[in-house]
Amino acid sequence: MHLALPSRKTSNPPPYAPSRFPRIPTIRRRRLQTIAIGATLFIALIYICSKIFGDGDGIPSGTAPVVIVTVLDPEHYPKDYIENVKENRIEYARKHGYATLFPNITDYDLGGSPASWAKVPAIRHAMTNFPYSTYVWYLDQQSFIMNPDLTLETHVMAKSRLESTMIKDQPIVPPDSVIKTFGKLDGDHVDLVLTQDNEGLAPGSFIVRNGDWAKFFLDTWFDPLYRSYNFQKADTHALEHIVQWHPTILSKLAIVPQKLLNSYHKGREGTGEQGTYKDGDWVVRFAGCEQDATRNCIDEAEPFSKQWRTIFNARR
Amino acid sequence: MSLSRSPSPRPGGGWASPGLNSPFASYSGRSSPVRSYSGNGANSVTWESAKAKSAGVNGYPSFSTQNNGFFNRHYRKLSSSLPSFNKAGEKSYAEKEKLGRGRSGRWNWFKSRRSRNSFLRKRILALLTFIVITIIFYTTPMHYWWRRTSWLGGGKKHVIILAANQGGGVMEWKGPREWAIERDSVRNKRKYANAWGYDLEIVDMSTKKRYAHEWRESWEKVDTIRNCLRKYPEAEWFWWLDLNTFIMEPSYSLQSHIFKNLAENTYRDINEYNPLNITHPFKGEHLDPLSRSAIGDGKAESINLIVPQDCSGFNLGSFFIRRSAWTDRLLDVWWDPVGYEQKHMEWEHKEQDALEFLYTNQPWIRPHTAFIPQRKINSFPPGACSDEGNNTLIHYDEKERDFLVNMAGCEWGRDCWGEMYNYRELSNFLNRTWWEKFKEDWVAVALFKITGKKFRL
Repeated sequence: MHLALPSRKTSNPPPYAPSRFPRIPTIRRRRLQTIAIGATLFIALIYICSKIFGDGDGIPSGTAPVVIVTVLDPEHYPKDYIENVKENRIEYARKHGYATLFPNITDYDLGGSPASWAKVPAIRHAMTNFPYSTYVWYLDQQSFIMNPDLTLETHVMAKSRLESTMIKDQPIVPPDSVIKTFGKLDGDHVDLVLTQDNEGLAPGSFIVRNGDWAKFFLDTWFDPLYRSYNFQKADTHALEHIVQWHPTILSKLAIVPQKLLNSYHKGREGTGEQGTYKDGDWVVRFAGCEQDATRNCIDEAEPFSKQWRTIFNARR
Repeated sequence: MSLSRSPSPRPGGGWASPGLNSPFASYSGRSSPVRSYSGNGANSVTWESAKAKSAGVNGYPSFSTQNNGFFNRHYRKLSSSLPSFNKAGEKSYAEKEKLGRGRSGRWNWFKSRRSRNSFLRKRILALLTFIVITIIFYTTPMHYWWRRTSWLGGGKKHVIILAANQGGGVMEWKGPREWAIERDSVRNKRKYANAWGYDLEIVDMSTKKRYAHEWRESWEKVDTIRNCLRKYPEAEWFWWLDLNTFIMEPSYSLQSHIFKNLAENTYRDINEYNPLNITHPFKGEHLDPLSRSAIGDGKAESINLIVPQDCSGFNLGSFFIRRSAWTDRLLDVWWDPVGYEQKHMEWEHKEQDALEFLYTNQPWIRPHTAFIPQRKINSFPPGACSDEGNNTLIHYDEKERDFLVNMAGCEWGRDCWGEMYNYRELSNFLNRTWWEKFKEDWVAVALFKITGKKFRL
């Protein structure tokens, strides 16, 4: 039964009546919408501005991606040879926008250890002077860059390139040391690229990725206990030692074929065919000329010191 | 008054009850009840329907439509006890105040008193609920899980590594005192770890020829920490403790004692207290600014190792190390055969000396190492570092309620078990509950004064 009678008015008055004049004027719905849209736009604007004007990873623009380090020994080498070596690096670096650093052996306190140790603080020095550079390429002074077209990034360090060229499961000290390079290593995780000659690791030309790991690696390598230990080949044997004993170093290491960045001019005794310099290789090195009394570094370098200029001029 | 709907048959009348209406409602002679409603025909008038009809005529229904439910009966009272808002605003509403009705005079006062009463009641109720919940929280394992969960209490992020059996094994046999020390020390740490939801890892450090290539006698801190890093993947900070330590104040959590305020509780510049006279910071021009800075980057987040220093240098009886890539590297190079070969005769304190050496010589270590005032986590008893008498930087102070005592070096000519026992008793005494304090400081004393006898309550 639905009769058309209004329901009875309640006899209970409401306990409070809503006031028609609220003391705090609430924000109207429309105005709220406007505010929300405005805020969103504002945040978006800030975001876009930070993308455009902000310096991304904190790397200032114009930073050289690579620093080439060569430790010079002006006491034992003639001046023009040293100038020639310097020019070779500077010319190459100019072509690709790289930076260079040429410290002297005497710049660092080696505590009486052999002069070849100077490369370690020199790389550290380069990392200090160029903190935003990605790579440091150490190239010793018995060497020339012979192919100006190859860049470090594409020729060696590109992820795919590195993954295809790195030698896996390779004994650190040939022919058969127990410790071998990793069988599987992500190219992005490689922080140290080295080559081997037939006697072991060949740190005359190698690449380090700038960062915390590099500091750790270099400081560990430079430990006074290794320098005082009388390793037969000083820093080279110390390097072989730390690579084999410390997995945090081994796990960042990639060994690549020698000719990629470390071709030898005249094969040291036992250096295989693949390590010998051929035209078009990136680098030529006169490795071992210093230690061997029958060889003369200056004479060996003589033909190349002219040749690199012709090649560089031809490609200009 | 007319009803807007047909009265519900059940409560007042009984016309739906078949036994009542069937004999009269139909003349069919059937014994079984037949559903019959008033709409069935003119002759289906029953006593009940007639009654209902007459009730409609005289306006008084025989059943009540009011006052027949809890809410109806209490409507007025309930609403009057609800909090009333906007009393003042109501006045602007065009209705006039009517005398004797609503809020005025004594009635108003009475009402507000009533509502105030119920306010009070609610508050008391809330307070009681709170107390009950608190009690439940602390008496059940709930508080343990709260403290343990990494995003609440964060206990899971801390692991205590307790080195048991140091130097035991092939070197010497444990006597009853050594067993007692181990039992007390382990119990102390276990209680502490359980109270705050930390993990406790007890490691057997007895000397064994574990490594085929090297007699690496008791250089096992590194391997132990590495194992723990693997075993507790969620933990962030690892606290190494020697066996001869005792946590004096189990009520301090590691978070509140150290980690919540890491920057203030530690110092980065070793020149603040430098018993080894290490040159700090590095002088070499070739090093980066961070390595040459006295305080690293100065941020608490960059601290990966927290070490106390005693009178003769670093002390690894109680130290913290944090999971990080830096830590992996440190643990990796901490022990090295070339260093070991040259120095193992010289480095009496093994890892401790090796760490000092690394800190002194390798710049990458310093920006991530912090030192902590010794008494924060590693107070010494008067017997240790005693050459120059009591030192407020080094030795345990009962009044300042130091956190932990490390009976360092007690195995060389001191009484380890005696010291452990004394500190255990002292810790218990200092951390008495109020009830124990009442019993011992008031009741027992009063009884002693009255009877002249000592009581142990």
